Amino acid sequence: MMKVTTLRAWFARLGGLFGKERRDRELAEEMESHLQMHIEDNLRAGMSPEEARRQALIRMGGVEQVKETYRDRRGIPWLESLLQDLRFGLRMLRKNPGFAAVAVITLALGIGGTTSVFSIVDRTLFREPPYPNADRLVSFGVVAPIEPREFMLAPEYVVWRAHQTPFEAMTSMMPGGAGCDLTEQNAVHLTCALVEPTFLPTLGVQPILGRNFTHEQGLPHAPRVALVSYGLWRARFGGDPSIVGRSISLDGQPTLVVGVLPETFEMPTLGQADLLIPETLDEGALRRDNPITILRTFAKLKPNVTTAQASSALQPLFQDSLQYVPAQFRNEVRLSVRSLRDYQTRDVRLRSWMLFGAVLAVLLVACANVASLLLARAANRQGEMAVRAALGASGARLVRQTLTESLLLGVMGGAIGCWLAYELVRLFTSIAPGSAVHPQQAALNLRAVSFAAGTSLFCGFFFGLVPALRRPAPQSLTGQDARTTSRGPLRHALVASQIAVSLVLLACTALFLQSLWNLQRAPLGLDAENLEIAQITLAPYRYPQAARQLEFFSELEMRLRQIPGVSSLALSDSLPPSGPMRATIYARIEIAGRAPFAAGTGGMVGWRAVTPEYFFALRIPMLRGRAFTEDDRAPGHDPIILSDSLARRLFAGENPLGHSLRFGLQGPWRIVVGVAANVKNNGLEAQADPEFYIPWKQDEAETSYRTAYIVLRTPLSPETIATWVRTEVASLDTTVPVPVATMGQRVGKLMQVPRFNAVLLSLFAAVAVVLSAIGIYGVVGFLVNERTREIGIRMALGATPRAVLALVLGSMIAWTTAGALAGVLGGWFASRLLRSLVFQIRAHDLWAIGAAVALQFVTVLLACWIPARRAMRVDPMVALRYE
Amino acid sequence: MTADKKDVWQGTLALMALKTLEMLGPLHGYGIARRIEQTSGDLLAVNYGTLYPALLKLEQEGYISSEWGVSDNNRRAKYYKLTRAGRKQLEREARDWVQTTAILARFLESSG
Repeated sequence: MMKVTTLRAWFARLGGLFGKERRDRELAEEMESHLQMHIEDNLRAGMSPEEARRQALIRMGGVEQVKETYRDRRGIPWLESLLQDLRFGLRMLRKNPGFAAVAVITLALGIGGTTSVFSIVDRTLFREPPYPNADRLVSFGVVAPIEPREFMLAPEYVVWRAHQTPFEAMTSMMPGGAGCDLTEQNAVHLTCALVEPTFLPTLGVQPILGRNFTHEQGLPHAPRVALVSYGLWRARFGGDPSIVGRSISLDGQPTLVVGVLPETFEMPTLGQADLLIPETLDEGALRRDNPITILRTFAKLKPNVTTAQASSALQPLFQDSLQYVPAQFRNEVRLSVRSLRDYQTRDVRLRSWMLFGAVLAVLLVACANVASLLLARAANRQGEMAVRAALGASGARLVRQTLTESLLLGVMGGAIGCWLAYELVRLFTSIAPGSAVHPQQAALNLRAVSFAAGTSLFCGFFFGLVPALRRPAPQSLTGQDARTTSRGPLRHALVASQIAVSLVLLACTALFLQSLWNLQRAPLGLDAENLEIAQITLAPYRYPQAARQLEFFSELEMRLRQIPGVSSLALSDSLPPSGPMRATIYARIEIAGRAPFAAGTGGMVGWRAVTPEYFFALRIPMLRGRAFTEDDRAPGHDPIILSDSLARRLFAGENPLGHSLRFGLQGPWRIVVGVAANVKNNGLEAQADPEFYIPWKQDEAETSYRTAYIVLRTPLSPETIATWVRTEVASLDTTVPVPVATMGQRVGKLMQVPRFNAVLLSLFAAVAVVLSAIGIYGVVGFLVNERTREIGIRMALGATPRAVLALVLGSMIAWTTAGALAGVLGGWFASRLLRSLVFQIRAHDLWAIGAAVALQFVTVLLACWIPARRAMRVDPMVALRYE
Repeated sequence: MTADKKDVWQGTLALMALKTLEMLGPLHGYGIARRIEQTSGDLLAVNYGTLYPALLKLEQEGYISSEWGVSDNNRRAKYYKLTRAGRKQLEREARDWVQTTAILARFLESSG
């Protein structure tokens, strides 16, 4: 009840802010009638008219005080003075549109940039993954050379699941999405994730329609069921709720849809998943048939259990599992338990911090600029402030007024900044490579807008406080030139910090540009010109056995040979410079007549099956021996070609040709026939792994050949070749999709992330440099203006232009140098921090910092030159009459 | 108007004004002040600097409403009138006051 009346009174008081004149008139009238009635009463009591009036006035007290208290009660005093300040601030800005525009645009650049980057990195840096109790979700497993992220072998997982103590729930999924086809009309290729039935409950996710998998659905030979992702449900099934309980055809088999996932659902691996399918984990069968099935494993900690405690609780199980690891590898296998958040973001965190740091630096420079502008203006307004103080304005009241004005600037800059951020986010997501930005995560949401609002208020406060805390000097009242205080070190310090910050940014940018340059020129080991690549993946339900797969590819190879204008054609099961490649452990490679390698695993060695023309098509030089021939593809021939790095490691300078070796314990002995030059096979930035090649056979039942890359070296246009390849594939099987790209495009894709980083950093650095140049220009220009008279006198007394220049730039040079030193130091530290993100650059590369310093120096010179020239041309006569 | 008269403090002033309006019906500010002074046997002096803001507060809270009218002497004056909410508020406040004074009286008696 009380609440309601208070609220009601507040509304009335808010209303009291309007229609002031009428209310004032009414109050005056009420007081007047009060006075008159009192006088009449007094007259009736027998007083003389004068006495009656006098007594009434005395009794009434100060009418103005009554009115004052009344007014305070009528409206909301602080709000009124705030509105007054706002009105005044707006008027000041309107009077100085140039100042207002520069300040607001500067701020908008800073806030807009910061907000847009914030909305991109928010999820990575500041938020938990979108699951209830996300802080208790962990990724766990073993880390070994064959896989840098923690995993578990399925048979071990089943044991751990039965005996573990630290987890409330534990679940697993097959790594990477398996391709699967929706084989109804308009067949589409989808990504299916194989997950344990406990997957969703462990993550705390409920299907929005239908229900989760049951335990029985995870048993062997259970009828096939699936959960549909929200996206697929909308796009493919039109959001029809009756999908639950319907049977769809998946890879040619009827599959029952049991539920629909929420729109916000994400795989903990951040991978793609259109459908979830229950995985079957039968320990006996696994140990027998497929002992090296790898699982990604996640768990929910019991309340108040830390990852470290969980890790030590799992130690006994881990030690038990180690017995299945060959003794020589054991010390390279570790147990790992880390938060899901860490699992998801570790690789991108540094990159995100770098972008966010860069944009915060821009914001800092922008704020310093506006603070500097405000300081200059405060110096000009000292007289006004002194008058206000003399008329009785308290110090706090003056601070409030100045702060209101700067907050006004902050809010205006923030509003424009929000719009800018919206546009920038759209721009970033359109140019960002897929792996750098998750589009559903990078949206200008409420959090980002609140961040922008907070930032603008903070900025307004930050740069407003400096000039606000300056007390007006009493002598300002005299109207004499009292602007000497502005020459203080504050503005110079601001400039120095701007130079330092933008220098750090420049140094980092130079580092990234240099890294990009190195990357572009780094030899791939192959000739990417005129190479067309068609990637063909066969659906396992149509081509279940390796024999059928090989048959398909042999037929296709024959047909493609008929295409005119192709100078060479090769098939391979994987392709450099990146992407999955078959691999084996170095220690598993055995040379005939030598002791096996015993010092641990020795790391990974990649291998590919290739047709004879592979080396010729990619122009990979043979350093020794020969390439494969057609004869090598016949049964009974088992040659092998080593990469240079592998040959050096295995044979240490000896001639490897003619040696026999085998990999995997049951494999055939293979004779080394050649050594090929090294090729980038691990992405552009990482060191290439050693690798070897075996011939692509017509018949080889052991390994599956589901995917083949068809390499065509041809001067023909990519479109023509693509059409021909597609026609030939379609004549064999119309359901096989044929993505075609040039080698150049494939390499270009790998450059996207570094290029995106470099572009963004360059953009931020450019803005910071321009802003700091404006700041320097402003400070020097202001100094010159302020000292025009002094300069005039000096010149009249015989000072040379050179002396004037020294006078104007003297302090500037000292401060610039200080800023530059700080910047070089900062740049050096920053580049050390970012070392892991750049390619082939030694820790403190002088080239980058040198270029940054040079650029910054030129900018400072330019920014100083214009006002300094004005100072040198001061006409003493004009200057002395100045003011 | 001598110095020994007590000033009315805010909370009680509002209560007195409400009570006056209940007794006499619609009344202007001057009338309310005079009536309070008379009722107190001229022991209280109403400070006009607080009376009008107090009336404004009551109006903002919705306990009274105001309207311009004409006084007995044909003078334009602002008349205040008790609302229904005001009547309830008066009852509540009066009850509280009676209780408070009773407690205070008992306390003073027992310790005196």
